[in-house]
Amino acid sequence: MQYFKSLEHIKNSYNGRICQIADYKRSGKKLVGTFCLFVPDEIIFASGANRVILCGGRNDTVAIAEQYLPRNICPLVKSSFGSIINDGCSGVRSCSHFGMVDMIIAENTCDSKKKMYEILNDYVPTHVIDLPQRPDGSTAFNYFLQELDKFKNAMEMLTGNVVTDELLAKEIRSSNEIRELFHRIYEFRKEDPPPISGTDVLKVLQKQYFLSSEEIKKILYMLINEIEMVKQDERGKPGKPRIMITGCPMSGGNTKVPDMIESRGGVIVAEESCTGTRSFWDLVDESKEPMVALAERYIKIPCSCMSPNLRRIDNILELARDFKVDGVVYYTLQFCHGYNIEKHKVQQALRKAGIPMLFVETDYSSADVEQIGIRVDAFMEMLS
Amino acid sequence: MITVGIDSGSATTKGVLVSNGKIVAHTILPTGFDFILAAKKAYIEVLDAAGFDKEDVDHVYSTGYGRKNLTFADKAISEITTHAAGVYDLYPDVKGIIDIGGQDSKVISISKGKVIDFSMNDKCAAGTGKFLEYTSRALEVPIEDLGNLALGSKNPASITSMCTVFAESEVISLRARGFNKEDIAAGLVESIARRVAVMSRQLGLQENVAFVGGVAKNTGIRAGLEKELKISLYIPPEPQITGALGAALYGSG
Ligand code: SF4
Ligand code: SF4
Repeated sequence: MQYFKSLEHIKNSYNGRICQIADYKRSGKKLVGTFCLFVPDEIIFASGANRVILCGGRNDTVAIAEQYLPRNICPLVKSSFGSIINDGCSGVRSCSHFGMVDMIIAENTCDSKKKMYEILNDYVPTHVIDLPQRPDGSTAFNYFLQELDKFKNAMEMLTGNVVTDELLAKEIRSSNEIRELFHRIYEFRKEDPPPISGTDVLKVLQKQYFLSSEEIKKILYMLINEIEMVKQDERGKPGKPRIMITGCPMSGGNTKVPDMIESRGGVIVAEESCTGTRSFWDLVDESKEPMVALAERYIKIPCSCMSPNLRRIDNILELARDFKVDGVVYYTLQFCHGYNIEKHKVQQALRKAGIPMLFVETDYSSADVEQIGIRVDAFMEMLS
Repeated sequence: MITVGIDSGSATTKGVLVSNGKIVAHTILPTGFDFILAAKKAYIEVLDAAGFDKEDVDHVYSTGYGRKNLTFADKAISEITTHAAGVYDLYPDVKGIIDIGGQDSKVISISKGKVIDFSMNDKCAAGTGKFLEYTSRALEVPIEDLGNLALGSKNPASITSMCTVFAESEVISLRARGFNKEDIAAGLVESIARRVAVMSRQLGLQENVAFVGGVAKNTGIRAGLEKELKISLYIPPEPQITGALGAALYGSG
């Protein structure tokens, strides 16, 4: 596959971002940490604060978390918690941004996160946005809008700034611009062979919540330019099985399964996940009152904590069609009950549509690489 | 055209030599610690048995967990694909395969020799040969006898643990409570059959199902599985070599 200079940029962006945050904090500004797509960035930025994602993708902080949390909860929750409370005495080094946040903006989504936040609040002030569990209907909508208002107030308290509609509108435009850029990248992936690999796109998707908006925009523009320059003969072979990933998020540091898919003959053309389409697919309506428009856009995120979550199945089928998907890899983290249970409905829908699905349940360790490898090999052979 | 398929499995290594689509010779040997050595040995053994030299062979295809590390093989294919091809060669009307191996079990749904869906358990020993190995040890009967012993039971004990470690202690406590060996053996067989049956129902296997892998040689387990699934299973004359056979057949194109 093609080598992209803009991605090299991403790889080396970590230290720069840490210095940027440190400067930022020295100038008296606030930094918040988030875990989930239900938290609107626009409100954070409009308050003059900055944000980093705290979802952990590393395996070594899991053991630190297990001193406090049960073993049988999802590794994302454990890795994140372990990274935040890690004081360094354990000998494990976690990324420094975890210790830099002034406040955490959490959300009531799955049980594991919900209960973890209660403990986390003892270490870092944590504001929890409560979510309705039904995504549709006016009661749910009004409740969510209220919760977003409370969150806005919390941000105003933290920063001492007033979040005006003008500021929100400006941030909505900026976030929509990022979403539009991701749409352009995804458009390229409809080609056969796609000019960019799925693992490369994933790296950008993972970093979008760590870097500043300006930085991520710059990278996306550069990447689009580079992709447009890729000549036909510089691409991989055409006719490789076109794979869509769906399921749990793949936090930074976790590319285990996508690496396996693409090194074993497949090409990933779309990912229906929070490190995928869910992060950018719907735009915020810029013609509406900002808070209402935000609530409308965010409540529609098809996360498995919503019930029923029919929108997700529709999205999967639509993406499969638009991206000419040959097979779907349903990816879950161990003990993520929401996505593991929702598998059944997705499997049924895909069977009906005649699209094969491979189910992969895993964690952050590398113990199962060979076992997943044989499933992936067999799946690719089956699709070829 | 002469081709060889090598199935480098975790417990046993299998080799099959095929000439113009027909099996000429096969071999089965324990894998041991050095799986590459075992694979080389299987290759030589199957050549000797067939009376051929390496020069006569057009292609060697490998399968099984060691498949990617056999430098003398031209190509590596996953055992799911090769089992499907091997079993299809023996039973052209086959629609499903149950394979219980030493470390894993798999269920494959196929159509005209092509895999259409599969499911695999290799994360834990439940429903694998290992389960039988450990629990029969706790019962102090050789694993080969477990199935036949079970056939003699009138009142099977119920083994509730899927986990091998817990099932082992369950066996010990059943013994302490005075259950006889036949009934405990029958309970173990039922337990593994139930586990595998769940996997095959998930894939919707109903008829024309073949049972392969080392455990398929065990008549008691076979009977238990047939009872649980309410179908009669195809058992190849040599159920362990279907993966190697499939690999050899892929080699001949
Ligand atoms: S999967 Fe659900 S809980 Fe997790 S980040 Fe996405 S929306 Fe939030
Ligand atoms: S992966 Fe699942 S269990 Fe883990 S945090 Fe996300 S929704 Fe919760």
